[in-house]
Amino acid sequence: MEKKLSKKALLKSFHNWYYGHLTCFSQEHMQTFGYLCAMLPLVEELYDNEDEKAKAMNTYTAFFNTEPQLGTVVVGMTAGLEEARANGQDDVDDETINGLRAGLMGPVAGIGDSLVVGTVIPILLGIAMGMSGGGSPLGAIFYIIVWNLFAYFGMKFLYFKGYNLGAKAVEFLIGAQGEAIRDSVGILGGIVIGAVSATWVSVKTSFTLLNEAGEPYLELQSKLDEVFPGLLTAVFIIICWALMAKKKMSPIKVMLLLVVVAFVGVFVGFFNPGLSY
Amino acid sequence: MEISWLQAALIGLFACLSSMPGMGGSSIGNYTLGRPLIGGLVCGLILGDMTTGILVGCAMQVVYIALVTPGGTVSADVRAVSYIGIPLAMVALNSYGLSPESAEGAALATSFGTMVGTLGTVLFYGTATINLVWQHMGWKAVEKRQYKKLYLIDMGLPWLSHLACSFIPTLIMCKLGADVVELIKNTLPMDGLAMKTLFTVGSLLPCVGIAILLKQIVKKAADFVPFLFGFVLAASMGINLVSATVVAGMFAIINYKIKMLSVKGAVAVDDEEEEEI
Repeated sequence: MEKKLSKKALLKSFHNWYYGHLTCFSQEHMQTFGYLCAMLPLVEELYDNEDEKAKAMNTYTAFFNTEPQLGTVVVGMTAGLEEARANGQDDVDDETINGLRAGLMGPVAGIGDSLVVGTVIPILLGIAMGMSGGGSPLGAIFYIIVWNLFAYFGMKFLYFKGYNLGAKAVEFLIGAQGEAIRDSVGILGGIVIGAVSATWVSVKTSFTLLNEAGEPYLELQSKLDEVFPGLLTAVFIIICWALMAKKKMSPIKVMLLLVVVAFVGVFVGFFNPGLSY
Repeated sequence: MEISWLQAALIGLFACLSSMPGMGGSSIGNYTLGRPLIGGLVCGLILGDMTTGILVGCAMQVVYIALVTPGGTVSADVRAVSYIGIPLAMVALNSYGLSPESAEGAALATSFGTMVGTLGTVLFYGTATINLVWQHMGWKAVEKRQYKKLYLIDMGLPWLSHLACSFIPTLIMCKLGADVVELIKNTLPMDGLAMKTLFTVGSLLPCVGIAILLKQIVKKAADFVPFLFGFVLAASMGINLVSATVVAGMFAIINYKIKMLSVKGAVAVDDEEEEEI
């Protein structure tokens, strides 16, 4: 008789992954234990024989790490493959399953990091911050609800897409339509982040030149803003980008460099936060 | 402003849930509770001043708007930023008598949060290292075919790692915080070079956060245009964040339609070529 995974086992597997993919994280095994927990309900349902169970579980002791939200699609795909193997399909073995897992880890992490962490979350946070004016909780509540609905149902969708479609599920992600979606979301993200920068980041200089009578005749900040409002902020952001993207500096090094810049800037009178008691 | 043991313990519990590998799971823990904006809401509610909490959270959120952890390397620890940095910044603002809505208040909060967040990476590596002990037990369980134990390993025992690396450090820092802030206040005068530098750094640091994000979306010079477009929307045209997102969405849709046209066109061309062969 053909073995078929029950909806209950699949949901349990999905929930184990949804919650437990990173709870027991270490630098050495990363998401491996989360993956084992996700596969356990499926293996228990598919096999009665202890040796067969052990054989199946051993497949998933191989190292796994990817972007966990989007990576759900890989877990779904292996659920489908494990079901095929339990039904005695010859071309599905340890090697096919782990080859697929190892092959998808990298690309899925790349797409996931830039799409989920680099675009969707910042856009939602940007909107939420716009709703937090005057310390209103509205923005935080908006983020909690929208992000969690998106994450839960998005991951569930990906899990079952992976299970039902197998390899076809990834085409949707890395194919031409996926490319077009990512490119468009990238533009959306870019514009929102620009607006977030102009609203929430403010780099200002206090540099002024005085004439003989002691009156200021050049206030650098207002001159710069006449050229392009917020010019100094934009320039600082682009310099930080160049240091990290072009000079390959780590964020912590750039932050330390800014401490030096701030110190020198305050010393020569370029920066003055205007503090007083 | 005094933080009681109960308040400190509650904040400590949220630190356990929120960190990257946190006990809340990555969607609810790291990506929801770990975001400074949400941390601001939580700390604000616990400490009885929601408005200040959210404003402090917003200021820090800009720095960490795109906290990507590629391959498990972190440049800041979210539990430290949100559940040590925010309470301490709230205490500091209170002690200095600064409004969280002012530019100075935001700058102070940002420098505090970033300092704590960077030092907090120690907590991240600590948690991941202790988890190795549980994973070692996990491999033993797999060998002995005691698969049910995997749930305890993946979702239960890491709580102990968090007791050591999240709960206790947060508890101690929240309790000591007020004294430390007082000490800084007495040793470093507000109009001195050190404090001026600290505040200037606070206004520069968000540039790094935005730049980390830009690294994800800017691959070539033309990719800067959407970012600058969004910047102009907010800085020059005074459009708020929610409205800017709508404008951005419009452009994303146009881009998607154009891309899909060329995708469909390419498919048609491919077919023709195949026929010729």
